[in-house]
Amino acid sequence: MMKRFHILMAGVAGTAALVGAGPAVAADPIGKGVVMYMQMGGNAGDGATLARQTGAAEAAAALGVDLKSQFSAWAPETMINQFKEAVAAKPNCIEIMGHPGSVAFHDLVKSAVDQGIVVTDGNSPLTDLQKDFGTKGFGYAGVDLYAGGTLTAQAMLSHGLKKGDEAVVYGVFSQAERGQSEKGLADTLEKAGLKVDRLEITQEVNSDTSLGVPVLTAYVQAHPNLKAIGTQHGGVTGILEDVLKKAGKKPGEIVVGGIDLGPATITGLKSGYVSATLDQLLYLQGFVPVVQCVMTAKYKMPGLSLNTGAGVVTPDTIGGLVDLIDKGIR
Amino acid sequence: MAKSASGSIFQRVEAVPIICVFTLILVLFMYTAPTVFLQPFIYTTFLSTLPPLVLLATGLTFVIAAGEIDLCFPAIIAFSGFVFAVLFKEYDLGWISVAAALASGIFVGFVNGVIVAKIGIPSFMATLATQFFWAGMATVLSGGKSYALRDAEGSSVWTWIVGRPFETSEAMWLAPLPLQALWTTIIVVFLWFVITRHRFGEHVLFIGDSNEVSRVVGIDVDREKIKLFTLMGFLAACAAIMLTLENKNFFGNQGQGYLLTAIASVLIGGTSIFGGRATIIGTVFGCFIIGMIEAGLVASGLTGAWVRTVQGLIFLISIIFYVYADEPQRRRAFLARFQGFGRVRSAG
Amino acid sequence: MNDVTLSTKAPTAPIFQSIVRLEAVQKFFGPVQALRDINLAIGKNEIVGLIGDNGAGKSTLIKVVTGVTPPSAGRIFVRDKPLDLGDYSVRAAHDLSIETVYQDKSLAEKQPLWRNFFVGRQITNRFGFIDIKREKEIANRILIDTIGFRGAGITVDSTIGNLSGGERQGIAIGRAMHYNADLIILDEPTAALGVAEVRKVVDFVRRIKAAGHACIYIEHNLAHVHEVADRLVVLDRGAIVSEVLPKDMSVMELTEYLIQLQHET
Repeated sequence: MMKRFHILMAGVAGTAALVGAGPAVAADPIGKGVVMYMQMGGNAGDGATLARQTGAAEAAAALGVDLKSQFSAWAPETMINQFKEAVAAKPNCIEIMGHPGSVAFHDLVKSAVDQGIVVTDGNSPLTDLQKDFGTKGFGYAGVDLYAGGTLTAQAMLSHGLKKGDEAVVYGVFSQAERGQSEKGLADTLEKAGLKVDRLEITQEVNSDTSLGVPVLTAYVQAHPNLKAIGTQHGGVTGILEDVLKKAGKKPGEIVVGGIDLGPATITGLKSGYVSATLDQLLYLQGFVPVVQCVMTAKYKMPGLSLNTGAGVVTPDTIGGLVDLIDKGIR
Repeated sequence: MAKSASGSIFQRVEAVPIICVFTLILVLFMYTAPTVFLQPFIYTTFLSTLPPLVLLATGLTFVIAAGEIDLCFPAIIAFSGFVFAVLFKEYDLGWISVAAALASGIFVGFVNGVIVAKIGIPSFMATLATQFFWAGMATVLSGGKSYALRDAEGSSVWTWIVGRPFETSEAMWLAPLPLQALWTTIIVVFLWFVITRHRFGEHVLFIGDSNEVSRVVGIDVDREKIKLFTLMGFLAACAAIMLTLENKNFFGNQGQGYLLTAIASVLIGGTSIFGGRATIIGTVFGCFIIGMIEAGLVASGLTGAWVRTVQGLIFLISIIFYVYADEPQRRRAFLARFQGFGRVRSAG
Repeated sequence: MNDVTLSTKAPTAPIFQSIVRLEAVQKFFGPVQALRDINLAIGKNEIVGLIGDNGAGKSTLIKVVTGVTPPSAGRIFVRDKPLDLGDYSVRAAHDLSIETVYQDKSLAEKQPLWRNFFVGRQITNRFGFIDIKREKEIANRILIDTIGFRGAGITVDSTIGNLSGGERQGIAIGRAMHYNADLIILDEPTAALGVAEVRKVVDFVRRIKAAGHACIYIEHNLAHVHEVADRLVVLDRGAIVSEVLPKDMSVMELTEYLIQLQHET
């Protein structure tokens, strides 16, 4: 009985050795040995984070980078603490997001860069830091926030909004740079003559958007003449179909402009409740910083700026993208 | 018959179980992520990020030992943090902003104490309600804006509270040592003496044991409860000031993330949720563990998604352990089941 | 018995009539009247048994006498001097040498013995920090000499929760004895005790009188209190309905009397 067991184990070991000794002589990927810490933003797997995770993971796999992901539920203080922990681990690169603002980050980034760590930025810009550390590899892969908001607003306006119409913009106005998105949206609508009400997203809703449903539903019901809802928060975009259904509205009654392509947003687009959503190409926001890291760490290239807010997706254009979205790419 | 008093090391030295767990986890991380945990930098980083959590958890240790709970402290971090930030930045009031922020925390804590002790609302409900109120006040007064404290390093407030006194030192690990770690250590050590050796500490333990007994042995339960919540308010304000200075920023929603982590740190450390017993040393190590998990997991290659799961697992195992450690009959029954196992096996 | 005493009061010369006297005391809890017109005087060296059915007001009466709760009306005299009722508290009662032993809330279960002995009157320095060494020393002496728990595996560090009911009563009573109280009040001390332990409690009650002090003994079990009391005060629905001398009524007659009281409106 034991003898048979031994022979079996020998066979397994032998096969494993043969397989392992196979074609091990391929060329090493460019980023081999590079360790990178990356701030993913929300919670693992949520609508505004998943495509970023996929992009980063695929870039890391292709380039051979050891990628370590951090999740902060969009809380700025957590992002700062996580940056400090990343610096203490002395990786080759760290990617941050702009939510805490340049002032909060400046000294920390400086000390990291002085230690030879490459720091780059994604999703939310830090223009001051880009100026100071661009040559050391501080790039940006994300939307030009104000312009993105403007683009979204223009798409909303093209759906038949008129001067004097009531609109609400639900966003994180309080955050220094990140608030520029909603500001762009609100300003553009105002310039077109609409009456814009600015509503602030609380931290609870920021981290757990389902908590925003009753808030918005109540708002919509309290404002029977509301013609437009705008936001630049991915999670909030996802709940808007639910909100409008609960408030008893039909698709198209209220023009909705949002951001990102989370699963609920896709349904919203297909049903017509969501009129336009800014596609910030989250995949690239994950992919490009990894590339930036390797390019600077290995080839000493400076930081590059990539505006990933190329356009909006509407109910007409969503069809072709659904498969890619399911795969977590778009 | 009473159990013998000369027990194992577990009974004679405070907080041994959690110290063992901490050491185990630390050694584990040193093995799985040696480049990070065998270097001093991650530890000096912890020294700058953990002090607020430690202060909050220490205050909570007193509160939970008294059989109460405080859910209001995250709002104090926002409210007192706001008071400090606005006075420091907009009105350039330096140390007065520190005093004002501390006073605001003491005030909020005092009000909580009065509501719980004199009006008689259970602390869970009372502090939940006040949490919403004061967090809301912070948002209303700040207009939802964040305050960036530019050039804060120049001020004496910064230098004395969160400064780096050894900045110019040659040793790379010594340079980033932050002062808030020192202040926190002093405060926590003092509070340890209070809970174990001071009259107020003893009163807290008795109140947690039984309000009735405390009254009949002559403790002014109401007054001590008010002192308790006021202390918590003070510590939360200290944490708020350290946090705001360290980040050089007041974020409108700061403090939210500390609610569950502070409570978890206290309970993991061994202080019983039923009151009557407290271990500050346990709480401090509980904070270390909670604070260390995320950095350790990420450095070891597990995605950040695992953090909450691991924290939850450690939490569960600790509290089950403490329940068994506290009730000898259940422990004996549990072990007896295993002995039965062995006997059946060998018979077959 | 040991005469290690901790109380800092000077021994008072017995020039008073009654150690405690209640005059026209009423107690209301909202609309409910718990004590009705109580006039009761306790002599300086007697054992008064307080009996009555459940809900008669015995516990409330004790709480009023010992400062746990103030009366709604009436006056209280300690050693013939009237009390300032606004100022009266448990601590004040202790200072006046009145101690209470409750059935089950004299001791904190999760705390060690030595803390239970001194809580409410800790030995502290100027800043309120407790002299733990001294407290434990004294507690140890009380344990061994006054209470008599020699070599029983109980030490000053033992947690109350690990002790049996009888041992706990012994601790609570020992505490009261240690503080050399002039009036010791026992609130149902034999409930849930075994036979041998009940005997110890009854003996202790006798010792209080033998030592020259007074005792109010609340008891559900008529046989126990009948054995030691000098007189029995019967409480019914918040009022004192009669006073009985044990030699005048047997336990059985007493029982019948109490049952009869219940049937009256």
